[in-house]
Amino acid sequence: MMRNHDDQLPESLRAAARDYNNPPELAGADLDAMWSAIEDDAFPRRFASPSVELEGRQPRSENRWLSARNLLPLAAVLLIGVAIGRFGLPRKPQAASSNVAMRPGAIGDSVAVPEAYQSTTSQYLGKTAALLVSLPSEVQSGRADDRFLGRAHDLLLTTRLLLDSPAAADPRFRELLEDLELVLAQVVRLQADQGRADLDLIRQALDQRDVLPRLRSAVADISADN
Amino acid sequence: MTSPAVAVEASEATQAPRYVSREPELIARVVAGDRLAARELYDAHAPRIFRLAFRLTGEGELARELTQETFIRAFAQLGRFRGESALSTWLHRVTLSVVSNAMRKVKRFRAREADLDEATSIAAETRRADPDLRDKLHRAIDELPEIYRITLVMHDVEGYTHEEIANVLGVAEGTCKSRLSVARAQLREKLAPYAKEWLE
Repeated sequence: MMRNHDDQLPESLRAAARDYNNPPELAGADLDAMWSAIEDDAFPRRFASPSVELEGRQPRSENRWLSARNLLPLAAVLLIGVAIGRFGLPRKPQAASSNVAMRPGAIGDSVAVPEAYQSTTSQYLGKTAALLVSLPSEVQSGRADDRFLGRAHDLLLTTRLLLDSPAAADPRFRELLEDLELVLAQVVRLQADQGRADLDLIRQALDQRDVLPRLRSAVADISADN
Repeated sequence: MTSPAVAVEASEATQAPRYVSREPELIARVVAGDRLAARELYDAHAPRIFRLAFRLTGEGELARELTQETFIRAFAQLGRFRGESALSTWLHRVTLSVVSNAMRKVKRFRAREADLDEATSIAAETRRADPDLRDKLHRAIDELPEIYRITLVMHDVEGYTHEEIANVLGVAEGTCKSRLSVARAQLREKLAPYAKEWLE
């Protein structure tokens, strides 16, 4: 780049000028807060908002015993059930003579995602699986710190964005995303000590159904598909 | 400390080339109403937009509001973006428009506040009489006419190139260089009484 050095300010002034209205580093929470305002204004919602905070949502059931705390193990079990159904069962071998082509953008055997969203969705599912798999040990060992919860927060945000995108057009995938939204919303709210009782239930389910190795294998499968 | 210019370059380096190659696709998706793509564009550009807004306003809350306003306006008008310039350039243009409008209102408000302060307090006068060099310089930058201040802040403070500034402002590079020269000359003139101090 050409510069006219004749009118350069002396170094002392240039250094002082660089401090002029010195901006702070934006934290992830700042970016999220600004995005929230932008999103509300620029993208008015056309249907029931998945990004409305959980407390503000209409309860799915009128049963008062379904408190947010009680929903965590239920949602986790539901999620695990869905995961087993989707990924845990051995894949049926594709018949060589089959006339039915694999749908474009299919993830696993049953959910179709538009091609443009495949990469994002695969990454998201992989990260979410990794987080949920490591959740019990993180909390048990007291390592579920702000960084871990921050990851859960980011994944929750992505879940909500996916819910609002064409990626959620498939009703089954949409259902999975809604379940994940519920679980992640609870993970974000976990306190290291208070969460242990709820996590015991998740861990039992994971152990009894041998889900962890199968879930890891599913993530590897999805990555291989891409 | 990393200089702002280096920080800007580093930020661009982390964007490219993966993000840049996907930008046209992301724009098309945003125009179709895709929030996920919008968030990706926002993540790629918001930090730099916020930095510039903060540099020009000096207030965190205001800079946040103006960053939000920039993206709201940009997403609303993105369908009219023809790709004749880089998206970053176009976004900066929107930013400067939003910031300039806001600063006109803020300046009117501050002028009224200053009048009031002058009438009621001698403390402010005392502070003005003995500021250090940094304060003097920053005040001198504040007082530059807007086109010179923007050019100086973008070039000397934030490290944008003349080419980038010229594209954003829609002027020739020569005009940009000339404005920077005038801005520096005005600063030197205002700080002349303290020349000994800043030459040391």
